[in-house]
Amino acid sequence: MKHGFLDRYSNLDSPLHGLEARTKILGFTALVSAVLLIPPGAGWNFFVFFLLTAILIGVSQIPPAYVLGRTLLILPFVLLAGLAAALGGEQATQRLLTLLMRAFLCLGFLVLMTNTTGFAELLRGLRRLGCPRVIVMNLGFLYRYLFVLLDEVLRMRQARDCRRVGRGPAAAELKVLGSMLGSLLLRSFERGERTYQAMLARGYAHDFPVMRPGRFTWRDPVFLVAVTAFICLAFGWKP
Amino acid sequence: MHIPDGFLANRIAVLLNVVSAGSVFFAARRHSYDAAARAIPLMGVLSAFVFAAQLLNFPVFGGTSGHLVGGALLGILLGPIAGFLCMATVVIAQALFMQDGGLVALGANIFNIGAVPVFSGYAVHRLLARERKTGMRAVTAGFAAGWISMMLPAVSCSLQLSISNAIPLAVGLPAMAGYHAIIGIAEGGLTAAVISFLARVRPELLKEGASVRIGIADWAGALLLVAVPFGIFVLGAGSDLPDPLETVLEAVLGPAGERGTATVMPASGRLLEYMGLAVFIIGVMAAAWLAVRLGRGHGHRQ
Repeated sequence: MKHGFLDRYSNLDSPLHGLEARTKILGFTALVSAVLLIPPGAGWNFFVFFLLTAILIGVSQIPPAYVLGRTLLILPFVLLAGLAAALGGEQATQRLLTLLMRAFLCLGFLVLMTNTTGFAELLRGLRRLGCPRVIVMNLGFLYRYLFVLLDEVLRMRQARDCRRVGRGPAAAELKVLGSMLGSLLLRSFERGERTYQAMLARGYAHDFPVMRPGRFTWRDPVFLVAVTAFICLAFGWKP
Repeated sequence: MHIPDGFLANRIAVLLNVVSAGSVFFAARRHSYDAAARAIPLMGVLSAFVFAAQLLNFPVFGGTSGHLVGGALLGILLGPIAGFLCMATVVIAQALFMQDGGLVALGANIFNIGAVPVFSGYAVHRLLARERKTGMRAVTAGFAAGWISMMLPAVSCSLQLSISNAIPLAVGLPAMAGYHAIIGIAEGGLTAAVISFLARVRPELLKEGASVRIGIADWAGALLLVAVPFGIFVLGAGSDLPDPLETVLEAVLGPAGERGTATVMPASGRLLEYMGLAVFIIGVMAAAWLAVRLGRGHGHRQ
């Protein structure tokens, strides 16, 4: 079955993709924090950050339409905040605009970070930056099991839809769905046990190998220095 | 429910990052004492289960549909510590895979979607069902745990947003609590249905979960985890506390009025100017794309 909505563009080739995972985690976290510190109504600052996002999207070769599509995620919050702004005055509208631009920029940076880094690399970067092993391993297993379980779910749903006509009363639907979820849970448990035994038999040593070696090159310090310089200039320099 | 970046005031986001990082580290430490290493692959598969289970939609009322969120279920099945670690993993994965929820807001999301539902669901189930894990009483307690585990995060989320001055409580609380009160019925029903299914098919699985011993330190930790942020919310709600990060920034760069705010942006008017800027930004993006593209000659590494 068709998947592939996760780190979808991480196998493109661009200067951003070539950076080490830790560099990208640190750099983009710094950029997101900087965006959250832009004072409300500072048009110039927002403009330079939008310009930077645009340049990075261009450099990364990720289709801009994809980035725009991801930003639709914040829609429910935007609607609620918009409702609040409609009740307020000009001040509230100004605040809403600041909020939207901040949310949009941060989401853009997050999309850039996750779509220019393969997931295994990202995990190793997190581990090397001090994230607890349980969490990193858990994320790794989640990523590997997810597609198998999604297949399982889609097959179960198809089987259910084949066996029934229309919808029954809510209580019966709930019971069916509960049984489906329960057996999905049991199958997940059993699959986890089996897989773990098989991994042990093959010499699993509590770590996952990754494709690209995580070494710093001259590009990494250049990127970090550029990001720092950009943030300092954006805040300190008046046009 | 996943709060994006930009909606929370910085002091709230930083506070919740500290709280969540602390509780994740504590739980990870506590868990590695509790469980053998074999529990890690099992937790991973259960995190993936939470992800996959969200594909099974259930129609609630008039067009809206609910799906299992799973916080209460994991808390009941695995105990609060392992359940919290699983849900925290799911929230981190949702931020990294799907950009669902922000990067600096990650602490707030782990708190709202990980800690609050798992701990509250576990506590409610424990209080109502006592030691029983099967039978009618456990199933009813499962419903209550599922419903509460949807309501409390909604309340906590709308509180955070209103203290951050993003969405006033008068708008946010009725909208979020009302929506989740309805979705919570589906969550409660599904939690109860899964528990009754497991009790019928594999009762020993539920008994295994019961053997997780929770000491007084865990309850104290859980209480602090909930009490500290809520206390600070309540205290911070009225007063106008200075933002720690902005204080640092002002010490380094000077007061906000003097840096970069010369061109204050009006909310309306000057439409043509804004459109011009947008066209300029898109042009720069296209130029950067083309430069990299031409410099390389081919797109995919494969």
